[in-house]
Amino acid sequence: MTFERNGLLMLGLAALLVPLAVHDQYLIHLGVMVLFYAVLATSFNLVTGYVGEFSLGHTAFLGIGAYTAAILSTRYGLPMWCTVPLAGLVSMLAGLMIGAITLRLQGPFFVIVTLAFSEALRLIADNWVALTNGPMGIAGVTPPVWIAHLDNVHATQAFYYIMLGIAAVTVYFAYRFVYSSAGRAAVTVRESRYVAQSIGIWPFAMAMQAFVLGATLAGVAGGFYAHYISFVGSDLFGFAFMATMIIMVLVGGKGTLLGPLVGALLVTVLQEYLREAQELRLTLFGIFVILIVLFLPRGLMGFVAARRASRKTARDDLATRKTLHGGAR
Amino acid sequence: MDLLLQFLVNGVVIGVFYALSALGLTLIFGLMRVVNFAHGDFYMLGGVLGWFVTERLGLDFFSGLAIVAVVMAAFGWVIDRVLIERVRDQGEEAGILLTIGLSIVIANVALLAVGTAPLKVASPVSEAPLLLGPVVLTRGRVVALVIAALLVVASHLLIRRTTLGRAMRATFQDPMAARLAGIRTERVYASTFALGTTLAALSGMLLGSIYSAQVSIGGTVSLKAFVVVILGGMGSFPGAIAGGLLLGVVEALWGGYISTNLVDLVGFLLVIVLLLFRPYGLFSLRAERA
Amino acid sequence: MHKPSFDFSVACPAALRRSAQAVFLCVAAVGLTAHGAFAAEPIRIGLIQPLTGSVAYNGQADVDGAKLAVAAINKAGGVLGRPVELRIEDGQCNPANTVNAAEKLVQKDKVVSLIGAFCSSATAAIMPVAQKYRIPLLTGVSSEADLTEKGNPWFFRAAETDQLLARTFAPALIKTLQLKRVAYIGVNDDWGRGGVQEFQQALQAGGVQTVSTDYFDHGATDFYTLLTKLRASGADGLFVAAETQDGSILVKQIKELGLNMKVFGVGSWATSDFIGLAGPAAEGVYAAVPYVSTLATPQNTAFVASYTAAYKAPPGKYSAAGYNAVQIMAQAIARAGSTDADKVRAALAQTDYTAPNGHYRFTPKGQAYGFSLALVKIQNKTPNVVALATVSAPH
Repeated sequence: MTFERNGLLMLGLAALLVPLAVHDQYLIHLGVMVLFYAVLATSFNLVTGYVGEFSLGHTAFLGIGAYTAAILSTRYGLPMWCTVPLAGLVSMLAGLMIGAITLRLQGPFFVIVTLAFSEALRLIADNWVALTNGPMGIAGVTPPVWIAHLDNVHATQAFYYIMLGIAAVTVYFAYRFVYSSAGRAAVTVRESRYVAQSIGIWPFAMAMQAFVLGATLAGVAGGFYAHYISFVGSDLFGFAFMATMIIMVLVGGKGTLLGPLVGALLVTVLQEYLREAQELRLTLFGIFVILIVLFLPRGLMGFVAARRASRKTARDDLATRKTLHGGAR
Repeated sequence: MDLLLQFLVNGVVIGVFYALSALGLTLIFGLMRVVNFAHGDFYMLGGVLGWFVTERLGLDFFSGLAIVAVVMAAFGWVIDRVLIERVRDQGEEAGILLTIGLSIVIANVALLAVGTAPLKVASPVSEAPLLLGPVVLTRGRVVALVIAALLVVASHLLIRRTTLGRAMRATFQDPMAARLAGIRTERVYASTFALGTTLAALSGMLLGSIYSAQVSIGGTVSLKAFVVVILGGMGSFPGAIAGGLLLGVVEALWGGYISTNLVDLVGFLLVIVLLLFRPYGLFSLRAERA
Repeated sequence: MHKPSFDFSVACPAALRRSAQAVFLCVAAVGLTAHGAFAAEPIRIGLIQPLTGSVAYNGQADVDGAKLAVAAINKAGGVLGRPVELRIEDGQCNPANTVNAAEKLVQKDKVVSLIGAFCSSATAAIMPVAQKYRIPLLTGVSSEADLTEKGNPWFFRAAETDQLLARTFAPALIKTLQLKRVAYIGVNDDWGRGGVQEFQQALQAGGVQTVSTDYFDHGATDFYTLLTKLRASGADGLFVAAETQDGSILVKQIKELGLNMKVFGVGSWATSDFIGLAGPAAEGVYAAVPYVSTLATPQNTAFVASYTAAYKAPPGKYSAAGYNAVQIMAQAIARAGSTDADKVRAALAQTDYTAPNGHYRFTPKGQAYGFSLALVKIQNKTPNVVALATVSAPH
């Protein structure tokens, strides 16, 4: 717990200082995307890592949040500080509805039915032209008025700090959830459903809590995305975003709090770095994913946690041996 | 009435093709509990290899089919032994992530190798229309349909009548018991994966001769195959066929009478509704417990 | 199962990073040697096209045309005595990715100007980026009418709009094809929907009845259900907005089902790839295009010859678009006498470029005019020009 808390605080501090050290707008833009993905990955991790069910429908909440913010902004002229929380609220409601239906299933059935939801939403977004403007998407989502007056670099920095704030709130909620009884109950459900039930934990309720929290956070991230990129399209519901989220969480280490953050940073940077390789970019990325699965199956943070645990065990063993044999050996 | 007949026939034709491409997936899904996201890309490889063998090497369709079957079976075997074997005991997420990575690699290597153009697989017969009463088909479709049906029957015979098939069924029922009975389960897994890969690839080649083969098609095919597998029940052979036919016919009727825009939505709605009321599919052989 | 040792697990990802670096070095080395002939610093132009995804086939054609133009320009001595270098990024026709690509090109590669991004939604997404950085943006493809109505002074469109195509050819189509009742099919994206709507309006204005309007998704392979409905609808004409991949399959199935409607459409239709894929089913199909390889101008003959020599196939609409865009940009930089953004923009506004398909000039809003539009009919496996029109300056 201390390790995670310290790690989070250090990352937070570093993130605060980045725009002061870096003035290249492209790099700050990358920073904004890293923070955005960090929030998405953390929200996804709540479902996958702490409930233990693999959801392929998480982009549903991202998309719902983004479209909500976009529609409220372009049609009703609401400002960003209104639309983003509302986006989170609508996603929360969607999370309640979708969770009520899908969390009754487990295993591969859960995987496919969540996928069915996000694909269905994608098709609806693509065809319900009256609401979502169909494949043309919703363009011209405006940034806050005070940002619009800034020059490029400062505008991006402003967005960076807004996203950092959202990320901080996200990680705080995740932290409080994980280290609360609700969080521990969710982990118990993940590890052994029957045992959890036998001590009076209702798996469905635990799963719903994590699921809805994850949905709300993803919706908030989507709302921010709408204002930052200023264009929202049905591709937000698509598999590309989902695959990125999955890869980030699994590379960083699911079931840990630092994992998704590290994963978001690593994968975003890697994807941009691989642009240099031009045509080989995606192929190399796919190979990277395969290698991670084969050699670092618990992700980076999972690996680090395992190392620390084994080092602790080694230390304990040594201490035990010393006391047993009455001296250094 | 004529219209309805044509829609039904359209639906059945498509349904058989859906069933064939989902058959491999249901075996892999049901037996090995691997959610294979690269399934659509194996289908695509079948189409691309089919193009290569018939257009570039100039072989006739049926020799081409045989060669593609052998090559893809070997490919599937190797993938299982080298990659999937390593993550088999780590739960299903490892398999998901691995096959996602595999799908990305296969799709992009194919893109580099053959480019973006749609590829034509030479059909064994002409594309002239065939009129059966009020219903229109083409010779190419009928031939592909017949071959698909033969492949389904052949797979069924393989699973029901051969030793390998019996070993597969035993491992599906209880892997530990199968191992205790002396069955080499690693070989069974590899054979199952190879069989699934081959079926996907052959359906890709067959359909490539009717439409065209394209590198980017992997994702769409995977999704449709997942829908069929869930509809029919994981691991259920007749379920995959029934699920495929059901999906094909429902899509055709919806597209014909309601709207062609949202045809793909039908499958996903079916899945959601079905999983609400019959979570294990229409024909599932065993009920899942927590 | 024996877990791998510590060193191996850490070394492997590191080895991968090294191999990615090796690839980068190789690419950089090749790039440097290719420019060894010129001592001067190259002029970098950013090109954003979809190189993966469903329209990758057409995006690649655009890139091929662009590369041909760059080779021709550099062979003739480059621009302002410096070689032109294309920095190509994959936008995937996805607005978010395209914005990323644009940001990278401007910030990291420090390009002089941008060409892209194929799909109108992607281009619309980077128009504000171009304005933000004050850098000229030229598209050779994006055809949605309102792009030039947004008042962005840095944006230029060297292409037709669906509206122009529809209005120019509707009368000719109605007369030649004797259209009375038309069904519309389009691919379900912003381009397909836009094309269908514009042609619908133009044809309805000419007294043609709309029978039905349907859209299909990219990559749909089976149109039998849709075509069965159309067969029963009694339409005598069918308008299609589709690209090569979907269009060729559609046309084949139209023939298979025995539909004898007159088929006309927009998209990359009159290309040799399309004819090759559709086979005999392509006979008698009409297409409204801004470019076709059988245009009989001397520039086009030369262009077709050099393109065919380089790529072993005649050019289509998107290859020409890529070629023209690069030529227009290079000539503007030459006219400006420097790579300063404001001067290049002013020079772009004064373009008078002789293309294989006519002249390109820009209106004050950045819309091109003066180039040719052709109505072609596919006969004997070649696209024959049936009617030719020149895009006049909008009033």
